[in-house]
Amino acid sequence: MIRAVLATEFLKLRRCKVTWGTLGGLSLAPLGLALFMWILREPGRAAQLGLLGTKANLSGLEATGPAYLSTLTIVFGVGGMLLLPFIVAYLFGREYTEGTAKNMLALPVGRHWFVAAKLVVAAVWWFVLVVVVLAEAMLIGLALGLPGFSAGMMASSAGNALLAAAISFLLVPVVAWITVVGRGYMGPIAFAIAGMALGNLFGKTGWAEFFPWSIVPLMIGMVGSPQTLPTASYIVLALTFIAGTAATIATLRLADNAQ
Amino acid sequence: MPFDTIIATRALTKRYADVTAVDCLELDVRRGEIYGFLGRNGAGKTTTIRMLLGLIRPSSGDVSVLGARIVPGETSVLGSVGYLVETATAYPNLTVRENLDIQRRLTGAPRASVARTIERLGLGAYADRRVGRLSLGNKQRLSLARALLHSPDVLVLDEPANALDPAGIVEIRELLQSLATEQGVTVFMSSHILGEVAHLADRIGIVHDGRMLEELDAEELHAKARAYVEVGVSDPGRAMGLLRAARFAHIERITEGGAEGGSDILRVFDAEERASEIARTLLDAGLELTQLTPTREDLETYFLRLTGGAS
Repeated sequence: MIRAVLATEFLKLRRCKVTWGTLGGLSLAPLGLALFMWILREPGRAAQLGLLGTKANLSGLEATGPAYLSTLTIVFGVGGMLLLPFIVAYLFGREYTEGTAKNMLALPVGRHWFVAAKLVVAAVWWFVLVVVVLAEAMLIGLALGLPGFSAGMMASSAGNALLAAAISFLLVPVVAWITVVGRGYMGPIAFAIAGMALGNLFGKTGWAEFFPWSIVPLMIGMVGSPQTLPTASYIVLALTFIAGTAATIATLRLADNAQ
Repeated sequence: MPFDTIIATRALTKRYADVTAVDCLELDVRRGEIYGFLGRNGAGKTTTIRMLLGLIRPSSGDVSVLGARIVPGETSVLGSVGYLVETATAYPNLTVRENLDIQRRLTGAPRASVARTIERLGLGAYADRRVGRLSLGNKQRLSLARALLHSPDVLVLDEPANALDPAGIVEIRELLQSLATEQGVTVFMSSHILGEVAHLADRIGIVHDGRMLEELDAEELHAKARAYVEVGVSDPGRAMGLLRAARFAHIERITEGGAEGGSDILRVFDAEERASEIARTLLDAGLELTQLTPTREDLETYFLRLTGGAS
């Protein structure tokens, strides 16, 4: 059954503008970062062109390969905490906003299959985005010729970005649950923003390793220096994934689907 | 439950906080019959339909379809049910064919069923058009196509004639009739087009405030529908007094054609055999008679009387 449900979920993505919108949005990030690096490296020419050299200097960044790559990891971490919840909210929420939830839930298909298939589609969508934009970022980095930009550093940075993307994914079943409870987009998007703010807040406390929404900021260096995560953080993330998935399935099975 | 009962509810109740949407509803729909489920807005029709499909959980009582108790999330029996709930909806960025293909994959229907159903519902010209660009009537046809695609044994249709033009209504009526008579498909349909239900349904259930007021077939409707004589007269007020004096016990005065510029007519009940006596009474008093029509309540009038509606 999962194959049939997956096939229909991928079919629903056809001609979907949101897919291309998220790709366009995320692919702008390395371009913006590259522009920032260029302004830092060539402040005179940037000033001649009317670009904001002073603000770029105030950021504390340097025009180096390590700075470019570490900022890139943060971009994927932030993307995972804001863009990925938007993707998941869209996949689950469209059934309510387009009025098709009532059609879907009365089908002779276990409701857990819909949850599983939508999460698989979100994972595929998210990792295609990450891989494409990562490749774009590496090419731009090479083209910039930043000092200290080496193949080894690229591989290590790509590994960190993929790990941040994967860890971010473990948080999204909670977003799916909020979407099916709220039957729309506003709740999960507000939750994603609040999660990011709380994650940064808790990230500055001693509990950061145990608060799910602090773990990604902690790992990518959004709060302090990047850290290797303890095993407990992975257990917390796995439990968050399981709890979010179970709550989504339970809500679809047990709650009234009156919309 | 009798062998040929396809849909049954027993003391089915749904409460939302202090509102009882469905109240101890009992109904039985037999194999191969077309059951018209009537009620005013908010009577509990759609809530009942949602419980039939496992979309919402009853507060108490049971609902079963094809002998299987419906429990939300346990949807295996729904493979034999086609349905249309409330408004016609589909994925707007997909074509008619793609929307039906989703239904085909999830119900396990054969590949050929998509083309066959598109043909059957007259959607051939729109098969490759995105649903977002369809007219309301064609969206309704698509929803009916989705309900019929997997050749279900039971159809649960909420307002199937919504948004269809008169030719479309006749077409769907004939389609449902042929499914019921030729293939033994059981049809449970709600509708507010009472004339349509009267044409189509073998049995009618009238629900009001969540409760079943009455279940009846065409013969019972004929027997229960009251006969009356409709009287148009120059002075309705004086005519009422004269008729009461002549021992016509039950007379109603209604305004036809709206409150402004409308004319009052009288309905004299239980008087089909006494039309000539009515005429004589009024003419002898010097009143001018403009209408004298023995008639019988249709479903609409009966429904309105039962549910406390207009007239």
